[in-house]
Amino acid sequence: MVRFNLCFLLILGFLLSTSESVRFDLESGQTKCIAEDIKSNSMTVGKYSVVNPDEAHPMPDTHKVTVRVTSAYGNNYHYAELVGSGQFAFTAPEAGDYMACFWGPDHNPKVTMTVDFDWRTGVAAKDWSNVAKKGQVDVMELELKKLYDAAISIQEEMYYLREREDEMQELNRTTNSRMGWFSILSLFVCLSVAGLQLWHLKTFFEKKKLI
Amino acid sequence: MGLWGLRHAVAMAALCLVLLRSRGTEGLRLWIEEGEECFSQGVKYEGDSFHVSFVVIKDNSPWHHSANADGIDLVIKGPSGEQILDFRDRKSLTISFMAPSKGIYHLCFINKSPYHESIYFDVHVGHLKSLKPSEQHLQDAHVTPLMEQIAKLEEALDNIVFEQHWLKAETHRQAIVNDGMSRRAIPKAVIESVALVGASVLQVYLLQRLFNRKLGASVLKV
Repeated sequence: MVRFNLCFLLILGFLLSTSESVRFDLESGQTKCIAEDIKSNSMTVGKYSVVNPDEAHPMPDTHKVTVRVTSAYGNNYHYAELVGSGQFAFTAPEAGDYMACFWGPDHNPKVTMTVDFDWRTGVAAKDWSNVAKKGQVDVMELELKKLYDAAISIQEEMYYLREREDEMQELNRTTNSRMGWFSILSLFVCLSVAGLQLWHLKTFFEKKKLI
Repeated sequence: MGLWGLRHAVAMAALCLVLLRSRGTEGLRLWIEEGEECFSQGVKYEGDSFHVSFVVIKDNSPWHHSANADGIDLVIKGPSGEQILDFRDRKSLTISFMAPSKGIYHLCFINKSPYHESIYFDVHVGHLKSLKPSEQHLQDAHVTPLMEQIAKLEEALDNIVFEQHWLKAETHRQAIVNDGMSRRAIPKAVIESVALVGASVLQVYLLQRLFNRKLGASVLKV
């Protein structure tokens, strides 16, 4: 029992302290945007922070960013001005591309900051520590629950991909038949225009008494 | 309990370490302006498998975009700045390699065209694939091997998610191309017909003018 609890705590500790995220450099006055495709009604959590370039000294005041998170339709979900770190969490009401934009404020001389950004959606955003706290959940059971959720989300993605594939096939089929019909149409137009031309020139020359 | 318990606890701790979700960025879409943009990803252990994929997406590109459709460059630099891999002018890429050392790896995208590019980007670092049998802790009879297998399963699922994300990005790219082609079919047909009719009218007009002039020179009658 003690062994299980120890491992449990260690796992929670590691899960909570891992920060698998993307790091990018932001210059003063520069804008960088990152977008993610989120399905409707799925939870999303984002954490951002400016990395302290010098561990010994506190963060200088110039290292602040302005963050804005918007949906594909332009709705604003999070706005923070000149902060060193922060986080946002919301449930996406509409499916689509959600964009998080970072502005580096103007400075003279230009500073380059490293921003650490962690954005998780869907199954990765689920707070497993809460799930574990709810009952006497065994470590193995927790892990297997996670795997099950991951497998389900993979399956859902596959369904979505299959639907997209069907749509594309239908579109290609209609495009193919349309191209066929339009080729016939343009051939018809070409021939009829040539016939009209011949007829018109014939009457013209007959009028001029050349034929 | 004593020493054996401590060893077991250490073994469990080591195993718990590998149960970290070693998934990197969860499939992002980025805008790369002209020039170079770098991203970093940390690697915790030497010999980890490092997977990177990106797909260049062009949204509703006008004609001149698709005419000179070049890709972007990717340069992967190691923790001490040495260049590991270099790819030029790629529109879609999925690569995996064994990380030679631990540290922070830099992935730099170089955009040579003057327009901004939108790319789907995904990074994944896996650990257990490279685990040698001697490092696997098989001390405890019924618990540790199971957890190890679960950890392996988790990593396999992470790999599947990574591949699936690349597939989704490629499908999206194809969908854009197909959409564009379908939408351009009708205007193409209309313009073609108009051009044909216009060309023949011009032809008739020019011929008439030519003969009128010739006739006008020789016969004094319209």
